Amino acid sequence: MATRTQFENSSEVGVFSKLTNAYCLVAIGGSENFYSTFEAELADVIPVVKTSIAGTRIIGRLCAGNKNGLLLPNTTTDEELQHLRNSLPDEVVVQRVEERLSALGNCVVCNDHVALIHTDLDRETEELIANVLGVEVFRQTIAGNILVGSYCMFSNRGGLVHPHTSIEDLDELSTLLQVPLVAGTVNRGSEVIGAGMIVNDWTAFCGLDTTATELSVIESVFKLRESQPSAIVDEMKKSLIDTFV
Amino acid sequence: MRLEKCWFCSSTIYPGHGIQYVRNDCKIFRFCRSKCHKNFKMKRNPRKVKWTKAYRKLHGKELTKDTTFEFERRRNRPERYDRNVVQNTLKAIKKIEEVRVSREAKLWENRMKGNKAKQIKEDARELEQGIHLIKAPLAMQEEPGLTLPTKAEKMKVKVSISKQQKEHSMEE
Repeated sequence: MATRTQFENSSEVGVFSKLTNAYCLVAIGGSENFYSTFEAELADVIPVVKTSIAGTRIIGRLCAGNKNGLLLPNTTTDEELQHLRNSLPDEVVVQRVEERLSALGNCVVCNDHVALIHTDLDRETEELIANVLGVEVFRQTIAGNILVGSYCMFSNRGGLVHPHTSIEDLDELSTLLQVPLVAGTVNRGSEVIGAGMIVNDWTAFCGLDTTATELSVIESVFKLRESQPSAIVDEMKKSLIDTFV
Repeated sequence: MRLEKCWFCSSTIYPGHGIQYVRNDCKIFRFCRSKCHKNFKMKRNPRKVKWTKAYRKLHGKELTKDTTFEFERRRNRPERYDRNVVQNTLKAIKKIEEVRVSREAKLWENRMKGNKAKQIKEDARELEQGIHLIKAPLAMQEEPGLTLPTKAEKMKVKVSISKQQKEHSMEE
């Protein structure tokens, strides 16, 4: 299910949090509200970790990761690095990247199998992304925007991209990523998808401004309704009834 | 709190000290004091300025590649906290420091090895060339102690004299 939430009166929840299939990072805020939303949804499945990166709260835009690893910018302090290592499970590799572009969340977007990266990233960084995250890496732009991390968001089941993406681009991207893609918006028409929402294979969080239409698009493209436990029962019921009839 | 190294002289920069310059290609230059910053602004190469660590390392005056340096490094992939590991590390730090100091001393000794013979030679030459300035040649003939010992025998004589002198002083 997709949940609407807000970080200190800002709907850009993707900026202040990072969600993957193995862990969830949340910025340290003034109140526990934002953190509690994640805690309520995820606490019994994956660790929800409160952290800052480079002393800032914009952690979602600074780091990139999936269930295999977490990449942090060169501005990350040693204490934060150690805190993350201690909080995350052992299977997740935590790695700091010596890269000129320090907003890795804007430059890299990935699921557990494939990643799109900013065209100007270093060759070494590209290799590191491939090794640490265990993904196939493509240098791409989204509707002419080089900040791929800001303008799209995808999980292993589907993806949402910038509303101005052409049909050809959409086809090309979805063949690269091997997931169905849809062009859309979040937060009442905001085109910065990556900043407006976070998603993993079974749940999503979007800004409080997100309209019902946007929410239903998100739920259908990321196949969030199917991932609910009740969905499986429904499926089985259908097939059972099928056989009875 | 991370203690960074000065870009110019490689000394440690403690919190509240020095200045930091960020070039527009994202490269960060940290300086421990205005001396280093000024030298940087003068576009001096630290490898060519004698008092910097870079110069000393480049010219073989200090340890360059050593396993003890492996411990003090910026690491990008952290280890999970383990109480025992931390305890052992804290113990090891002292030991490693000792090892490093002894290795440095050894290097210094090796570096200074040839110097003694050279120093003796230089002193001898100075004595030969300049002794007449303080003592007339006639006086020197009378007192052999002032002349230069050219053979091993004469050295021995000199030593025995000094011994006698010592004994005299003791008696007195």
